[in-house]
Amino acid sequence: MHALCATLPASEKVPGVDPKRCAEFLRRFSREAPRLPRLALHVAVLVFQGSPPLTGAGWRPALWLTPEALARHSEKLASHPLYHLRQVSLMLKTMAGLVWGADPAVRAALFMEPYADDPSHWRER
Amino acid sequence: MTRGEHISFRTGEEVSLSIDYAIVGSGPGGSAAAAILSRAGFTVALCEAGAWRDTEHMPASLYGSMRDLFSDFGQLMSSGPAMIPVVQATCVGGTGVINSAIVVRTPESVLDTWARDHGLGDFLTPAAMDRAQSEIEAELDVAAMQGKQLGRHNHLLLAALQQSGREAHATRRNAAKCRGSGSCLQGCPTGAKRTGNLTWVPEVLTRGGWVLSCAPVSQVLFEGRQASGVLGRFSHPRRDYRGPRGARFRVSARRGVLIAASATGSAPLLARSGVRLAALGTGFRAHPGSGIIGVYPDRVNPLCGTTQGVSSLHHKDDLGIKLESLSLPLDLLPGRIAGAGPTLARTLARANHTAMWIAAVNADAVGTVTPARLPTFRGGPFGRNIVRYQPLVSDTARLRQGCAILARLHFEAGASSVLPGIHGLPTELSRDEIHLIDEAPLNNRAWTWILSHLFGTCALGSDPTRSVVGPDLHVHGYRNLHVVDASCLPTTLGVNPQHTIQAVARLTAERLANA
Repeated sequence: MHALCATLPASEKVPGVDPKRCAEFLRRFSREAPRLPRLALHVAVLVFQGSPPLTGAGWRPALWLTPEALARHSEKLASHPLYHLRQVSLMLKTMAGLVWGADPAVRAALFMEPYADDPSHWRER
Repeated sequence: MTRGEHISFRTGEEVSLSIDYAIVGSGPGGSAAAAILSRAGFTVALCEAGAWRDTEHMPASLYGSMRDLFSDFGQLMSSGPAMIPVVQATCVGGTGVINSAIVVRTPESVLDTWARDHGLGDFLTPAAMDRAQSEIEAELDVAAMQGKQLGRHNHLLLAALQQSGREAHATRRNAAKCRGSGSCLQGCPTGAKRTGNLTWVPEVLTRGGWVLSCAPVSQVLFEGRQASGVLGRFSHPRRDYRGPRGARFRVSARRGVLIAASATGSAPLLARSGVRLAALGTGFRAHPGSGIIGVYPDRVNPLCGTTQGVSSLHHKDDLGIKLESLSLPLDLLPGRIAGAGPTLARTLARANHTAMWIAAVNADAVGTVTPARLPTFRGGPFGRNIVRYQPLVSDTARLRQGCAILARLHFEAGASSVLPGIHGLPTELSRDEIHLIDEAPLNNRAWTWILSHLFGTCALGSDPTRSVVGPDLHVHGYRNLHVVDASCLPTTLGVNPQHTIQAVARLTAERLANA
């Protein structure tokens, strides 16, 4: 959750990833997603937490970075010369986007209609 | 079993059917063939790996779409130096449910090439395709988008293309009553998009056929060299289902089996069923693409208006690229913009001021699709087939040209900056910096690709050593076995393929019905 919130924080005009919605999303994702994307997200979070030395943000895990260093770490990871590190950032941005883009507060701030609920039903007969 | 029944996930005893034709896959090809054979009086069983979702079942969010509609939870990727997402759906109606419903007739030059270089059956003439496509357009409410349907982001592109002297048109779509909600990727929320799940598949039921949903086919059955049916096991559509395993199903087909499991699914299914042909799974082609996002001083409302309402074929022949508008769901936007953290947040605060335009490349690259090496546990047998595909340097160069054109068009339309999403370039470019796109690296890893419009892997041709199906779309060396989806198309089209797939499947089914 920390990695997703750090990847897409609030700006002056629009909220960022909401921790409560993020926690709920991650519970759903763990329950509903296949093994491969779940594994990919776990790996991405681990790499995000462990890679500050590779982005020049310090020697401590991302969880213990100052807000300024964390912002620098997120930014540098997204534009890192190593492709696979950039892909880690892309995975986190994609997941953060799923939480952020469906948040009614974000959509209201951007003058977009809120999403209806996902029905999760299908034709059974 | 009574005639005309929809059979979804079930447990318990094996479901056994005996019919005339078994059709694997209910996308544009499978559903078109099923409707024609049903109209001709044959009993048909349509087997679809995904669930049948009607308009009221369509998800609203992108996460819901990944979970309910996308193949492999949206995680299907081509492997190679750059990982490229492959856009496909697994549901009744197939990828037609999540595409932008664009209807483009098969270019005659493509049919000429196929006839000259590969061999085309005498039922696939330009005149026959023309007739079939006219009939399909009448059945599926095809119309050019206009007025309010388009929305501002489409009008901006239309005006910019026209001002620059390029060909431009509002797309013709099988959604005449489109309300422009910009959510094609989540399945049409109003039912305006006339996809297989709302049209031809229900028709199969009313004409006494069977539809098996949540029914991934694991194997085609043979008696000697003659296809005699299909076999599979029902798979629950929810991943968190923990009840008993789905029942087996067996469909015996007296007259034949038609495979329409997509360009990434048909070849692996045939390979798993024991079909051994040198060309099987080879010749995978696509229209890879990427886009440029323009940032405008005033609000664009990119999700108000048809998802892909404007298109230009101006550079189809000279550069091999197609230019289009695209409504990107807000949920996907962060993954498409460079940067992260506060910089990304500041850029996204202007999301409602952006318009995304894309370039799709008629690529020369050729790849392969092979069956999964490891068994899948709960994903069903279609899960995780291996797609190997990388655009060539020449393809990337054409994409670069297309993106540079789009960036200039954005500025002509009044954009204040563009977001290229290309590694190595600044996150945001001003008009004076467009030359940086012209000089962008040709390394595939620098670009944010997406792979849509998939072709090949069971390509048609008269030479059995270089093709999988013959000019009449029967699998070489086997009787009563045909392939009627995008996988039988031997080359890319340079235009959206849905209409061609439907017409080829329709004409093949007509030929079988009249045999």
